[in-house]
Amino acid sequence: MARDDSETDTALARLSGVRKRYGETVALAGLDLEVRPGELLAVLGPNGAGKTTAIALMLGLQRPDAGEVELFGRSPLDLAARRGVGVMMQEVMLPDALKVRELVAMTQAYYPDPLTLAETIALAGIEKIAQRPYIKLSGGQKRQAQFALAICGRPRLLFLDEPTTGLDVTARETMWAALRGIVARGTSIVLTTHYIEEAQALADRVVVMAKGRQVATGTVAEMRALVARKRVDCVTALSAAAIAAWPEVTSAIAGENRQIAITTPDAEAVVRRLLAADPGLSELEVRRAGLSEAFAELTQEPAAMEAAQ
Amino acid sequence: MTALAPTGVPQMTFGRLVAAYLSDAKYESLRLLRTPAFSVPILAMPILFYTFFGVLLNGGGHRPPGFADQMFVGWTVYGVMGPGLFGFGILVAVERNMGLLTFKRALPMPTGSYLAAKLMMAYVFALVVMAMLVTAGLTMGHVSLSLPKLVTVAAVMSLGVIPACAIGLFIGSWAPASSASAFANIVYLGMAFLSGLFFPLSGVLHDIRAVWPTYHLAQLARAAAGMPTEGSVATHGLILAAISAALTLLAARKLARTG
Repeated sequence: MARDDSETDTALARLSGVRKRYGETVALAGLDLEVRPGELLAVLGPNGAGKTTAIALMLGLQRPDAGEVELFGRSPLDLAARRGVGVMMQEVMLPDALKVRELVAMTQAYYPDPLTLAETIALAGIEKIAQRPYIKLSGGQKRQAQFALAICGRPRLLFLDEPTTGLDVTARETMWAALRGIVARGTSIVLTTHYIEEAQALADRVVVMAKGRQVATGTVAEMRALVARKRVDCVTALSAAAIAAWPEVTSAIAGENRQIAITTPDAEAVVRRLLAADPGLSELEVRRAGLSEAFAELTQEPAAMEAAQ
Repeated sequence: MTALAPTGVPQMTFGRLVAAYLSDAKYESLRLLRTPAFSVPILAMPILFYTFFGVLLNGGGHRPPGFADQMFVGWTVYGVMGPGLFGFGILVAVERNMGLLTFKRALPMPTGSYLAAKLMMAYVFALVVMAMLVTAGLTMGHVSLSLPKLVTVAAVMSLGVIPACAIGLFIGSWAPASSASAFANIVYLGMAFLSGLFFPLSGVLHDIRAVWPTYHLAQLARAAAGMPTEGSVATHGLILAAISAALTLLAARKLARTG
């Protein structure tokens, strides 16, 4: 498993051997996770992997059944620790009779040294909605307002749970730019996302979770190297099922118009065999697997291992 | 294992802490004033009921002596219960349901600021209700109480928001959002009638009247008005304080566990 402890020697938040279950459902099965100064850590994983639970524990919203949770070296229940934290949660409804700028002002009051109202509005890019009541906002605008609340306290550590869900392309670009700016000022960010390209565009380090455990961590490049798969795309008369049966092929998925996406560790062998089997093959493209494929590979393995047991 | 960074987070100064409490109270009041569907009934119902039952049905002051005073005292008790019962009972349940309470717990909101803001809001609402009742009592209510007496009753009763808020908080922390309003209404009207605020009780209802917090509040209101009371003022005050503390503790336990 790729780790790069050499880069930093401190952690802002840490989960050590944390277990958490809700009734019969195991949410976290011995999770270790560290957030280091100045990094943007992307936490990836399928639904139910335990991402949101991990964040809830670091914020003190849940108590672990076993293991240690630290935030700035203190308990997350300690108000002084949470004063260094900003948060954007997945499901929250805010008092909707208030205007966005009033919500920001109300939230800023909880912090010892917040940004000014004008700084917050500019950084979050919410000039157009600042004067509007929260109830009048669209879904994407509400996410932007919640983002403003997360950053307004000048936090040293920012937790963002799927922040760009529901945003249009422009709003997402604005938020990405803001996130890069915030990291450049030295704030650490923990970001959960199911947009692989978001992790690829922003993250210094990626943690992949599945079934309440960390299955891999490293840079985006390391994650991709970890799973040294290649992606082969082509348009062919061959069936996806037939290709998937070849021993050197990991997976073959049929797309539209006879397109097939093949994942393989041995692209050269697959290409030779494809060309031999289908002289009419076209649109051949070979590239390194993206994080998306690496991610699918990593999160499937624990499931496959358990099935084998 | 790597060392944990020190917090490096500045401490809150006392001034900023006070400002945080005040800001929460300000925005809590502001949002309720902008939600007339919620605030108008709380503010208007007591004065409407008092005008109808205490003034119009009083037959121009021809009822027996003391009736007008009795009505006034009864409706101040009723009026002071509303802001606390609904402000906490419905809002806490709804905010629990919508994830706002969880979000606020994740933020470094000062301990108690959430409840303090609602208590302050309830107190302001109660003062407005009292001011309206005093005005109506003086101008059309045929009360025999002097203005200082009326103001004393209103001032003592405004402290009644504390037990009212505790009952509301208890409802709001345990009841589902969908039924909190119904619970609060049942408790509100039920207690008002069962504690004999507006008409004398008899039989079992009379025997168990001391169960209801509104009965003790009414006795305090009567004492403030210089009217005869049952039991001592200290006893009623202590009982109300005990009920408030017990319900608040039970509610706080529930909220701390589940949010």
